[in-house]
Amino acid sequence: MATPQGYGWSRGRSTLASIRLCVLQFVADPQWLIPSMIAPVIFGLVAFGLFANSGPNFLVYAILGAGMMSMWGQTLYGSGWATGQDRVWGTLEPTLQAPTPYLYVVLGRVLWNVVSGLIGGLIVYVVVVTVNGAAPTLPNPAEFALLFVFVMLTLASVGTLLAAVYVYTRFAGFIQNIGEFAFYVGTGCMFPVVLLPFWTNPIALLFPPTWALDALRYNGIPGYVGFSWGFGWDLVGAIATTAVYLGISTSVFRRVERQVLEKGSLGDY
Amino acid sequence: MADPPAIETQRLTRVFESRKGFLFTEKTRTEALRGIDLTVEQGAIFGLLGPNGAGKTTLTKILSTLLLPTSGSAHVLGYDVTTQVEHLRPRIGLVLGGERGLYNRINARENLRYFADLYGVPRGEREHRIDAVLDRVGLSDAADRRVEEYSRGMKQKLHIARGILHGPELLFLDEPTIGLDPKSARETRKLIRSLVSDGVTIFLTTHYMFEAEELCHRIAVLTKGRIAAHDTVAGLRQLVGGDRTIEIEDYGFDDDELAALRALSGVSKVVTEEFGARIRATIRIHAQRPTTEDIRALLSNHATLALRERRTSLEDVYLDLVEEEAN
Repeated sequence: MATPQGYGWSRGRSTLASIRLCVLQFVADPQWLIPSMIAPVIFGLVAFGLFANSGPNFLVYAILGAGMMSMWGQTLYGSGWATGQDRVWGTLEPTLQAPTPYLYVVLGRVLWNVVSGLIGGLIVYVVVVTVNGAAPTLPNPAEFALLFVFVMLTLASVGTLLAAVYVYTRFAGFIQNIGEFAFYVGTGCMFPVVLLPFWTNPIALLFPPTWALDALRYNGIPGYVGFSWGFGWDLVGAIATTAVYLGISTSVFRRVERQVLEKGSLGDY
Repeated sequence: MADPPAIETQRLTRVFESRKGFLFTEKTRTEALRGIDLTVEQGAIFGLLGPNGAGKTTLTKILSTLLLPTSGSAHVLGYDVTTQVEHLRPRIGLVLGGERGLYNRINARENLRYFADLYGVPRGEREHRIDAVLDRVGLSDAADRRVEEYSRGMKQKLHIARGILHGPELLFLDEPTIGLDPKSARETRKLIRSLVSDGVTIFLTTHYMFEAEELCHRIAVLTKGRIAAHDTVAGLRQLVGGDRTIEIEDYGFDDDELAALRALSGVSKVVTEEFGARIRATIRIHAQRPTTEDIRALLSNHATLALRERRTSLEDVYLDLVEEEAN
C-alpha cells in the first residue's frame, strides 16, 4: 500500500472539496428546496404586498427586504449550522482529524452559502418583478449587483465566526436561535436600521451587514435616508468590520480547535 | 537510523473536568488516564483491552490527535501528538466506527472523494485509490449507493475504507467489529491481517477477547486509566499463573481441600465462585502437573465432582487482571 509521503493538502483543493460536498448534499436532500427555492417565492410575494404603494421606490424596498430575508438565513446561519450538523452526524471528528485545517472546510461552505443565497435573491427578484409587471429602475445596476454580492460576503463573515462557535460547543444552536430575530431586525435586513430606536444603532454597527445593507440602499434607492454619514463611510465601515470579522474568525478557529482538543468535546452532540 | 517506535508514551495522563448545574455549579473531575507508559513497535497489531470507562477511547483519541493530554508525553511515528500534528495526521488513520461519522445522504464514493481531497491524495491517484479501497473492503458493488441505505456492517467497512484511503503507516481501530454479524466480523479481521502484511501498524481496541487473541501480537490491559499488564498473549498467561486451567465444580469445597489444592506443586492460583447452588474453583497451573487425575484423586470423596481442563484463555487473563485491579 502506498504511503502518504509526498501527499499534501492544499487550501484551494480543500475549499473546493467542501463546496462540492455542499452541492452534493444540497442536491441529495429535498429539505433544502424549502429555504432555497420555495421560501424566496413566499418572501417575495409577502414583501411586495407589504411595501406596495408605499412610495416611488417601493419595488426596490420589496426586493431588498425579501431578498435579504431569504439570503441572510442561507448565508449567515447556513455557514454555522453546517458545522452543527457535523457534530450531530459525527463527521466533525474525522474531518478535524484530517490534515486540512477545518477553517478551509468552513470557507468552502461559506462560499457555497453565498452562491445559494444569491440564487434565493434572484428568485425574489424574479417573483417581485413578475408580480409588478416591470423591473425597477436602478441608478447604477452594475454597482448595485457588486454591492449585493458584497452584502452576502459580510453575512458570510459573521457566519464564519458563528461556525467557530459551533466547533467549540454543541450549544451553538441555542445561541443562534436566541440571536436570530434580533440579528435579523438589528442589522436592517427588512427595514433600515435608522427606523429602529437610537439605542440599538451602536449595537447594530458591530455587525458588517448593517453597514453594507445601508450602503446598498443608498446605491439602489434615490433619496434614501440612512445613516447620516452616507454611502462612502458605509462602505468603509462594511469593509473594515468584515475584515475584522474574518481576522477574528481565523484566529478564533485556531484557538477553538486547540480548546476543543483540550476539552475533549468534539464528539458531543 | 532505526525506525522510531510506532507509539511511545511516558507518564501520560488525561483529566476531564465538567460542570453541572446553572446557578450552583458542581465541578466533577475524572482521571481517565493515570500515567500511561507504553511502547508499541512498528509493523505489528497491538491490542488494547479494558472494561468500559477504562480509558481506551481516550488513549486512542490522544494518540490520533483528537484530544490533548493533561500531562506527560506521547509520540506517534516519532512525532509529538501535541506539537507536530501537521506531520503526523497524514501518516495515521483513525476508524471510530459506528452508525455516525459518515455523510449519509451521499454515496460511499463521494464520501471517500471528500476525504481524499482533505488528505491531499494526489488527484491523478484519487479515483484509482478509491476503487482499490472499496474493492479491498468489499464495497465495490455498493459504491454508488447512498450511505443511508447501508447496513451496519457496510458502514463499518466504509469507515475502514476511509481510514486506509490515504495509505496510513499506522491505523487506529476503535472496536472495529462491534455490532457486526459473525461473517462481517470475520471479514474485518481478515482485512486487518492483510493490512499488517502490507506493513501497516494496527492499534486495536476491542472488547472481544478471542479477537485480540487471534489478531494481536502484543496486548495491554487498561483498567481505571492504568496499564495493568502489557505483554504477548503467552506472556500474559504466565502473568496470571500459567497457560493451563482446570475448573472443578461441586456443591461445596471445604477450606482444607482448597488449601490442599493451593499447596500442590505447579498450582499458582485457585479462585472460587458461586455458580448457582454449586461452587466452581478455577485452578491456574504453570506446569505439566497436577493433571485432572491428580485433582480427582485429591478430591476422591466428591461423588458429584465435575472437572474439565482447558487452555487459559485471554478472557481468563483479562478477568483476573481486571479483578486484581478492582481489589
